[in-house]
Amino acid sequence: MSSNRIMTVSRAISEAIAQEMRADPRVFVMGEDIAKYGGIFGSTAGLLAEFGEERVRDTPISETGFIGAGVGAAMSGMRPIVELMFVDFFGVCMDSIYNLAAKNIYFSGGHYKVPMVIMTATGGGYSDAGQHSQTLHATFAHLPGLKVVAPSNAYDAKGLMISAIRDDSPVVFMFHKGLQGLAWMASPEAAATELPEEAYTVPFGEAKVVRPGKDVTIVTLSMMVHRALEAAKALEKEGIDAEVIDLRTLVPLDRKTVIQSVAKTGRLVVVDEDYKSFGLTAEILASVVEEDPAYLKAAPRRLAVPDVPIPYSRPMEQFVLPDAETIAAAVRGTLGKAREAA
Amino acid sequence: MATEITLAPDLWDATVNPEGIVANWFFQEGASVGKGATVAEIMVEKTTIDIAAPAAGRLHISVAKDGVVKPGAVIGTIEEG
Repeated sequence: MSSNRIMTVSRAISEAIAQEMRADPRVFVMGEDIAKYGGIFGSTAGLLAEFGEERVRDTPISETGFIGAGVGAAMSGMRPIVELMFVDFFGVCMDSIYNLAAKNIYFSGGHYKVPMVIMTATGGGYSDAGQHSQTLHATFAHLPGLKVVAPSNAYDAKGLMISAIRDDSPVVFMFHKGLQGLAWMASPEAAATELPEEAYTVPFGEAKVVRPGKDVTIVTLSMMVHRALEAAKALEKEGIDAEVIDLRTLVPLDRKTVIQSVAKTGRLVVVDEDYKSFGLTAEILASVVEEDPAYLKAAPRRLAVPDVPIPYSRPMEQFVLPDAETIAAAVRGTLGKAREAA
Repeated sequence: MATEITLAPDLWDATVNPEGIVANWFFQEGASVGKGATVAEIMVEKTTIDIAAPAAGRLHISVAKDGVVKPGAVIGTIEEG
């Protein structure tokens, strides 16, 4: 088969799961509408037909039940992938996630592994209101015991999913709905990529410089990588050369790549689709300043959702989400050029 | 020789949903594709249908992504050889 195909993120994820299921009989999938429907965001499409109901299991609407069952299965030697349909629904099952999945390796003194993937849809921008539009990156990254990944494109999605399935710790795999390449939701063109046929891994804790530059460092992940690249393209016309870093994983966090970049550029803008306070943007700033405050030639800037629930109204939602224009304005701000957006 | 990529006339019930759209092409214009490779997907309402290459060869896209199609439509051709 050719490898010149350009695949969407949703197909990359389902292909990764299918390949690992073929290779390892311990891998199975559970969740709401993941079997017959193929996952409401397409991440498990085609799996039921190939692997059957034993290994691709539709569950009742009881997240605390099936995520708890996933933890038990993982501790008994299986390698479950459970889908939490929207990350926003974590409230009903957080005990299973943070008191069971995240802690049982520690509580057992390392005698038990919890090789489980919690796959979940994140992100807004399509008017689905406050309880369907959050990313909640920091909510999960804050809790010790969970690895957290959030890919921006199909190549990384496949490799990170395979790494997640093979990992002996619980991994929260956050895919952004707007990157899936679904027929009914617009997606940035660059989210679909050439996708190797074979199984491969993308290691955790390795950020990727997706655009090298010398004037300013933009650190981001998931959907905002595409917004940042758009901003960088616009800034190029003004003679500003921005470096864009895709973190790819929040836990473990590749601080080294960020620090090396800021040591070079001296300027830092951090962009996140999560809430601003107590989040990823502050963590990145702190990581740089703890290393050496002298790296920064200008005050750094943070772009994230101001501390309000994501609005349903389209103009209001678009206003709170960072975009290419606000990112470009923040970059100009670090360079003391022009005015920043209000 | 060119083989047309034709949507089957009964691919979906056009009396219920007269039109679908080309949701994605999985290869670029001019790419070489293998016979049976999934080259495109068609969306009708919120369901998608995979379209396989009827032959091996060079892909020519005639209905671009987001283009409206009906059952029986030709969405592209494959230049063999």
